[in-house]
Amino acid sequence: MFKHLILDAAYFLQTSKSYQANKHFFYNLLENDKYRYKKYVDILMILLIFISVCVLIREVKFHVNDYLLYFSNYVISIIFFVEYMLRLWVSSSVSKIIVSRSEHDSFLSRDINLLSTFREILSIKFKYILSVRTIIDFIAILPFFHELRLLRILILFRVFKLFRYAKSFQTLAGLLTTKKFEFLTLGIFASVVIFVSSVLIYVMEANNPDSPIDTLFEALYWSIVTISTVGYGDITPTTTEGRLVSMLVIITGVVVLAFTTSLVVSAFTEKLDEIKEVKNIEDIAKLKDYYLVCGYDSIAKEVTRKLSQSVHNIIVLDDDLARVQSARRDGLIAMSYSPGSVETYKKLNIDIKKQVKAILCLREDDIENVYTALTVRSLDKDIFILSLLMKDSNRKKLEFAGINNIVYPQELIGLITKELVGQPAAFEVIHQLRSEYTNVDIDEIIVTTRIIHNYPTVGSLTNKRFKVIVLGLFKGGSDKFYFNPIDSTLLENGDYILAVGYKVFVKEFEKSLHKKVVNV
Amino acid sequence: MSKTTALIFGFNKYALEIELNVKVKYDNIKIYSLNKQDIDNSEKNVEYFDLNDEWSSIENCIDMENSIAFCALEDSAENIFLTISLRAHFKELIIIAIASNKESANKLTMAGANKVIPLVETTADIIANVLEKPISNKVLHNILYEESALKVEQVKIANEEYFENASVSDIDWSGYNGIIILSVMKEDMSHEFIYASKLKNHIIKNGDILVVVGFETDIEEFKNIIGSN
Repeated sequence: MFKHLILDAAYFLQTSKSYQANKHFFYNLLENDKYRYKKYVDILMILLIFISVCVLIREVKFHVNDYLLYFSNYVISIIFFVEYMLRLWVSSSVSKIIVSRSEHDSFLSRDINLLSTFREILSIKFKYILSVRTIIDFIAILPFFHELRLLRILILFRVFKLFRYAKSFQTLAGLLTTKKFEFLTLGIFASVVIFVSSVLIYVMEANNPDSPIDTLFEALYWSIVTISTVGYGDITPTTTEGRLVSMLVIITGVVVLAFTTSLVVSAFTEKLDEIKEVKNIEDIAKLKDYYLVCGYDSIAKEVTRKLSQSVHNIIVLDDDLARVQSARRDGLIAMSYSPGSVETYKKLNIDIKKQVKAILCLREDDIENVYTALTVRSLDKDIFILSLLMKDSNRKKLEFAGINNIVYPQELIGLITKELVGQPAAFEVIHQLRSEYTNVDIDEIIVTTRIIHNYPTVGSLTNKRFKVIVLGLFKGGSDKFYFNPIDSTLLENGDYILAVGYKVFVKEFEKSLHKKVVNV
Repeated sequence: MSKTTALIFGFNKYALEIELNVKVKYDNIKIYSLNKQDIDNSEKNVEYFDLNDEWSSIENCIDMENSIAFCALEDSAENIFLTISLRAHFKELIIIAIASNKESANKLTMAGANKVIPLVETTADIIANVLEKPISNKVLHNILYEESALKVEQVKIANEEYFENASVSDIDWSGYNGIIILSVMKEDMSHEFIYASKLKNHIIKNGDILVVVGFETDIEEFKNIIGSN
């Protein structure tokens, strides 16, 4: 009967959508760094910790407002307690353990053993409770019993909770743990030196009436102060033997300190790239509307240079470290990941649909570009993909891979040469309109409701005043281009005006379109 | 540039693409390769040349005054050397060179090429335009390279009286006879945007070239008016 009750409850919780959704919500809020609202919880907790510490410091010599004391001792402690319990709850799923154990036992045609199941649950929960972070969380609640004066000092332990909320602390702790063995060895060495020197200085000095070292504790204190190279000077050896020990301890202290510093530095150096990468991944997750450039060869280099002049962000993916470093030197966010691997997009948390404006396959290698395009297409069917084509015989393969726009440099050279020898002046003019190095530009001005309100027809536009030529009107609705439209042509929402003129004047013209017309 | 012979230096994908696109414009097309194997292996009529500065064999069989040269060697250094060598021997020869990047393009210009096409920059320009200005890119591409009703053409003025000694700034160029006039190329071959301040007091004369965009029939009509036909 009891077994059935437990099993029913476990199955109910496992299948309850609202229960699972709530649990998932609290898990995200407390443990998932990628969850957008977690940072607000972290900031709140950091704030509470600082309030506690400030109250503790103020309380030493001054009277603290009763409400503030109440808030620090009770409210904050209760909040921390709730947080503790929530963390304990989301750390593992009791119902899941029971259900899986039940299914396992029923598969083996036997009744569920509740005792061993509970033992397993307790073991998992205790493992969590006894972890360093959870112990700190627990100590942070203790100041609730502030009447016990000793427990008030435990407020300071709340500061250690910062490790949980501030990522830089976690990074630092992570770095130092990579050198755990070296630090342990150094620690043992330093302890042995401290122990030996303490005993030695005690033996040498304790019986000397002029020496300030009378007890083993004083010898230990002197030894630690000396080995750390702090040297307060309040206790100094007076005998020649004691001074000899001092010299030995000082030399050892310098060595220990140098080793410790070099260990920390080497830990940082080794992990620097990793830290930067984590930072880049976090930055990428925040970006929106960016171009994802796959491959960083010479053409990609030039394309990104041109695109970076506009407001759009650019992310470069390339599996070759040298090319990635080249992109970084050019001031781009570049990651050394294969753009042809689905895993890359998962690792970097790239949501193609929401974040990426277009994918540019710019490796000067058709095989790589097809591979990347297929990977991207498998993740998103609608994203715009542009790719370089290096051999015309591969064109169909690129089209089949779902690439929307293929740029074939050879063909371009042929077409340009044809136009160049046929109509050089005409070619130069069009080339100038496209090039970034000239003052004359062609711009696409989107027609908005405001523009229509001010200028309902093509004839009412003030382009002549700005010495701007309206080359044509692109009707977004019908997807048609109307060259040199007649004055009575109506402007519609979503149309594009193709304006040619000096860059400055085109900008001025565009601005003027949005200004309200004052009829005199 | 009304030349009769095109000399294409280099036997590679770019050279072949150039040949494909310019063969309708020239009576005679000659392809030269630095590699003797190309001559044997290719179905095309490829001739051998080297960079020994010996041009007499080519000069003897080709009218260099009526030729245009395309320098499309794959090796940048060789291409620059070829250009400088051609310029040193043939002062009036029109040389169009392909450059792998901007740096080579500058060197080719210094070596005497009349026009340099920087491959990387040109491709990047096109890609950036496709992404940032898709509509204008499509329109300009169609005007320039595709079989479209809209054309861009150079119209040489032969009937200056039509403009009645008006300066460029006096004329309302917008929607001129159904066509749009983008720029003016003066007799000294310098071309300026139609609204350029340099053209403000320029009186339109015979020999000036207008770069116009419009439908073929409108352009033809305009040509008839200004006497270019």
